[in-house]
Amino acid sequence: MLRQLRRRCADAARRVLAAWQRFREFGFHSEREARGLALLKAWLSREQLAQYRQYRHFDVTGCHSGKRYRIRHGVSMNVCELDSLGRPLVGRCFVPRDNLVAGDVMLAQKIALETNEHGVLLVAKTFSPRWRTIHTEV
Amino acid sequence: MATQIIMDHSGDSRHEFNPADAAALLEAEQRFNALMREGYTAAVRSPTGDPTVIRKFDPKAEETLFVPRFVGG
Repeated sequence: MLRQLRRRCADAARRVLAAWQRFREFGFHSEREARGLALLKAWLSREQLAQYRQYRHFDVTGCHSGKRYRIRHGVSMNVCELDSLGRPLVGRCFVPRDNLVAGDVMLAQKIALETNEHGVLLVAKTFSPRWRTIHTEV
Repeated sequence: MATQIIMDHSGDSRHEFNPADAAALLEAEQRFNALMREGYTAAVRSPTGDPTVIRKFDPKAEETLFVPRFVGG
C-alpha cells in the first residue's frame, strides 16, 4: 500500500517536472499576453528585438540625456539605468496607469524613454537594482 | 487601411479605418482627440522605425499607438 502510494507520488512528480520543462522550453502565454508580446516585437528595433529574444531584456537610449536604460521582461521594477560599462546603476520604476500585460508595459516604457525621458523620470520612483549581471538565455 | 491601437487590459484594441473615407477619418480623429483628453500618449513609427510622439491627429499615419499615462511604480 505504502509502496503503491510512493510510486504514484513519484509518477505525479515526474509529470509535473515534465510539464514545467515544457513550459520553460516553449513558454506559455495567454492570448492577451501573446498579443502584447507581438505588439512589442513589432515596435522594437532590429537590435532590440535580437537582444530581447536572446536575453529577455533590451536596451534603449534616453532621448534627452543619451543615457542607456535596460528594460527587462516584466510589469514593474523592470527598468534600470546603466552605467558606462553597461552595469545596472539605479532602478527606475514607472508603469502605465492601466493594468497591462508585460509586452505592452515594456513597449510603453520604451516609447516613454525614447520620446519623453525627462517627463517619465519625473514620475518614476527609484530602487536599488538587484538584477543578476549574467545574461539568461531564453 | 490605417489602424489605431489602444493598449488596454486585453492586450490591445484595434480600430481599422479607411483614410479615404471621410466619415471613417472623422471618427478616427474624434477617437484620437478623446484618447488625448483621457491622458493617452499617441505614437507613430518614423520611416526609420523609431517611435515619434504626435499631439495632433495625423490622417496619413498608417499605425497610431495609444499608451496610457504613466505613474510611479
